[in-house]
Amino acid sequence: MKRRDDEWVSLLIVIGATLLVAFGLIALVGSNLMVAVSSFLRGIFGSSYAMSEVLVRATPLMLAALGVSIGFKTGFTNLGAEGQLYMGAIAITATALVFPGLPPIVMIPLVILVGFAAGGAWALVPGFLKARFSISEVIMTIMLNYVAINLVGILVRTGLKDPAYPYPMSPILPESANFMQLLPPTRIHAGLVMALLMVIAVHLLVFRSRLGFEMRAVGLNGRACHCSGIQVNRATILSAIAGGGLAGLAGVSEIAGLHHRLIEGISPGFGYVAIIVALLGKNHPFGIVFASIGIAALQIGSMAMQRTAGVPTSIASIVMGALILFLVIRDSRQSIAILEGV
Amino acid sequence: MPVLEMKDICKSFFGTYANRDVCLEVREGEIHALLGENGAGKTTLMNILYGMYQKDAGSITIDGHEIVFKSPKDAIARQIGMVHQHFTLVPTLTVQQNITLGLRDSGYPFSRERARCEHIDRLSDSYGLKTHSRALVKNLSVGEMQRVEILKLLYRKAKILILDEPTAVLTPQESDHLFAMFKQLKAEGCSIIVITHHIQEVLDHCDRVTVLRDGCSISTVETKGIDAKQLSTMMIGRELVPVARERQNHHMDAPVLELVDFGFKRNGGKVGSVNLSLRQSEILGIAGVDGNGQKELLETLMGLRDHEKGKMVCCQQDISNASTAERRLVGIGYISDDRHRDSLVLDMGIAENLMLRPARSTAATQGHMVNKQCMLEQATRIVKEFSIKSHGLQEPMRFLSGGNQQKLVLAREFIGSPKIIIAFQPTRGLDIGATEFVHNQLLAMRSAGCATLLVSTNLEEILLLSDRIAVIHEGSIMDTIENKAVDITRIGLLMAGVRTEGAAR
Amino acid sequence: MEPIVVVTTFFAASIRMAIPLALAGLGESISEKSGLLNIGVEAIMLCGAFFSFMVVFSTGSFFLGILAGMLGGLSMSMLHALLSIRFKANQTIVGLAQNFLALGLTSFLFLMSFGQTTTLPSTKVLGDLPIPLLSSIPFIGQVLFSQNLFVYLTLGCMVLAHICFYKTDFGVALHAVGEHPIAADTAGLQVHTIRYIAALFNGILGGLGGAYLTTVKLGFFQENITAGKGYIALVAVILGKRTPFGILGAALVIGGAEALQIRLQTAGTGIPSQLFAMFPYLMTIAALLLTIGSAHDPAALGIPYDRDKR
Repeated sequence: MKRRDDEWVSLLIVIGATLLVAFGLIALVGSNLMVAVSSFLRGIFGSSYAMSEVLVRATPLMLAALGVSIGFKTGFTNLGAEGQLYMGAIAITATALVFPGLPPIVMIPLVILVGFAAGGAWALVPGFLKARFSISEVIMTIMLNYVAINLVGILVRTGLKDPAYPYPMSPILPESANFMQLLPPTRIHAGLVMALLMVIAVHLLVFRSRLGFEMRAVGLNGRACHCSGIQVNRATILSAIAGGGLAGLAGVSEIAGLHHRLIEGISPGFGYVAIIVALLGKNHPFGIVFASIGIAALQIGSMAMQRTAGVPTSIASIVMGALILFLVIRDSRQSIAILEGV
Repeated sequence: MPVLEMKDICKSFFGTYANRDVCLEVREGEIHALLGENGAGKTTLMNILYGMYQKDAGSITIDGHEIVFKSPKDAIARQIGMVHQHFTLVPTLTVQQNITLGLRDSGYPFSRERARCEHIDRLSDSYGLKTHSRALVKNLSVGEMQRVEILKLLYRKAKILILDEPTAVLTPQESDHLFAMFKQLKAEGCSIIVITHHIQEVLDHCDRVTVLRDGCSISTVETKGIDAKQLSTMMIGRELVPVARERQNHHMDAPVLELVDFGFKRNGGKVGSVNLSLRQSEILGIAGVDGNGQKELLETLMGLRDHEKGKMVCCQQDISNASTAERRLVGIGYISDDRHRDSLVLDMGIAENLMLRPARSTAATQGHMVNKQCMLEQATRIVKEFSIKSHGLQEPMRFLSGGNQQKLVLAREFIGSPKIIIAFQPTRGLDIGATEFVHNQLLAMRSAGCATLLVSTNLEEILLLSDRIAVIHEGSIMDTIENKAVDITRIGLLMAGVRTEGAAR
Repeated sequence: MEPIVVVTTFFAASIRMAIPLALAGLGESISEKSGLLNIGVEAIMLCGAFFSFMVVFSTGSFFLGILAGMLGGLSMSMLHALLSIRFKANQTIVGLAQNFLALGLTSFLFLMSFGQTTTLPSTKVLGDLPIPLLSSIPFIGQVLFSQNLFVYLTLGCMVLAHICFYKTDFGVALHAVGEHPIAADTAGLQVHTIRYIAALFNGILGGLGGAYLTTVKLGFFQENITAGKGYIALVAVILGKRTPFGILGAALVIGGAEALQIRLQTAGTGIPSQLFAMFPYLMTIAALLLTIGSAHDPAALGIPYDRDKR
């Protein structure tokens, strides 16, 4: 009972410290704190459209963060969700443009599958290299992000370019490849439903299946799993593929639900923010639902704050970084010991 | 006046006492034994003296001055040196670099290697501690590592030398040499504290002994005028009942496990090769000094390392190249000497740790899913059967005592009645009660027909449990003998690599 | 252009590209040798770049600017060290969070100071400093001795680091702390102090690497100016196997790839420039594959040291 109280108290301290940082920054740019906070809150809750935008932004974050969290379970530190997301986006664009005549009932499952496979393949490379040759996946996945982003740049200028326009972008995809708009005029689309279904799927995989058990065990003590006859490499590689695939689905969802064509910069760093989301959600699928909505709200709100109060949106990055650092301090056993000593 | 006096030392970890009002007094020029079973708090006490741990209460006086050590650095400055049971040498540095690590001499900050090596060579000559000062530590034998550790103390001019279980890595003859060297140091005015749980060692070589039990100091006595039985009672607090091992006749049985010229890679690029056969219902003990290839051999047998050559046949089935999972499915169980690293996921609970087996051999796995009900039922049954003490099936293994953790490992490896158990130091770090439990379980498995390969550096354990004893040295089996009226001297020589009469058999 | 001139300018350009990677890589290698894995090199460099720019812009003094760059880098590396050592945090997560923090902080402060402008505020850059006599040696003089201060500084640092790693007691201590902290502790070394010192060097050198970008190479600052150079410096550490000259070599190879791609991009081939931009990353991946089997990380890399937990 007491321990639970302490946990809440320390969480409140973390939130308080983070708010203090945010308020300090707002004061630093010389904005009125009340104006800034109210524009931040109005940016999120001001209208049903504003609230819907939070969910639109949470969709790719949720999918990519689920992917990151699966990797974390086996100790595969996947910092490459950004690249995997772009690979998913390339995959859906290419598929839909190559087979424009397919009916939606075939097209939608196909692009989802292909997007998953493309993202998974992009993560398979570092996953295999880590499992087999213990090459650091941290660096490998980041390098592959840059490769994927440049690949998009090349494709929208060459193979996938829309010949009708002089801009680097692909043609509009056939309508059969579009996700349904759920609540027009808001931009919420079926990608959100897919993300929520994936939350359940990941929960079942991680906490109910034998493979998920093996993944968790491998992440906690790979050596003991190896000695017990559990195939460590298999678990690691599968978690990498599943994680990459989910990040790939984030790309599919962005194209099919929002942009309907491939352009550069469809992701303003979703893949990186997803890592923060996964950490905040404690790598738990249900935690990630809340964390992705929270972070999306933070970003949407800070945009409104920039428009109205002139506070740069970079404040969102600072807040995310600071929040993680404060949580890290809170979670360290050291600080628990300090608290108990007092 | 004593050189060292520790008074009413208290230390607790996470709420459990490791030391409670412990007193120790060491005189100049004596060999002082610190006797107690595993978990009695001997090492903790010495780590407090050496500045590794901070005491919660009590006082330490050296040469009449009360001192407080914040770290080993302070202890070294007061001429205290300690050799830990797990050696604290950096494998990728040379002998010289390890010995002089952290010292400042006239050349600081530059390393004056030649002068240091010469000094080390002089010391090693005068104390008979042979070593190669320019060799990398990772290429040394365990015995040489110990010599390096002792040279490290001598180089730092230690007056109080602490050694934690120094004879664990030595043959009986080598142990005698070690104590002879201690006598030389003693004559020079040094005081030596030896942590041990071997009563005979205390009686043979030490001047006085302080007995610890359950974190408390029981008493300090002269070794003259006390006998083994009295010491044993002080150490354990009750009379020890030896486990009963009834002899079985099994010469007719076909072997369940056969190793034919079985070659395996050892650390440091060396290769070992063994011939062995293991029959049903027998315990084959492999005795030997630590670091002679035991761990590498067992890990190769489990498929954790690639084997070099030869064959491993289990029940007429060649499994030389099988994976770990396949070997386990054939019916081989493995008890490692390092349960935290090799056997348990410390952050998972009892129930989940019981599932740490190949998927096909777990009852709780149905298709691709886990049957939670079944998993918990199995765990409940095993906790009862092995009387594992815990606060529930989900409690992380981390919070269980070493004995209860090892019980769980045993229970898991015994699921599905394996044909063969490979056990490496199965009682390492356990107290007497848990040790007895493990011994009895191994004997029960033997009665049930299981063949056991028991590898231990503890000769007493081997003698107690084995039907036959093989001695390993430098990766090969020196000889295999029946465990009937064995000559300890002969086993000691075999452990040192010396074959005597009867070796031709 | 004559071929020899092309080759000379290419090599000189490669060296200039390699400098920030070499400096940051050297700092990180000191940190990693002691067991601290800091993937927040990006944050260190970004702060180095930003603060040196701000100070040069407002005071006009390169000396103060470079000093500010070092302090900026230091602030990040010491924060990482504090959280890793004192709070025993997951070092990768801390590094990652710091990258977010630094990215946000530098762009926030930049926008706060200059607002949304169409023309980037800029400063003079540190000029070349040819060394008399040596710079007139054909080819080598052009490539090596007609460079800016940072090039000489980097070479000096490499030599000093080499001596420190392999000839001094501090080098042995650093190695011991990263390989086997318990052994180092029982031998009387202060594990945590040595790790803090390593982090100190990491911050200073990484900050210098970042300062190079704004004070020498570009003369201006923009959001995310490092664009992944901190991560590439991590690659240089692995490729160079944490030896000073190895890191320098790796940085030169990657810098060469960078110089080549810029040359190709500006050559006007009609091929999308992204293809060339991808090139250095593909090369680092290929180079990482070459380390298979030969890489040896310090045994205690990324693991907090705790006496009570054995």
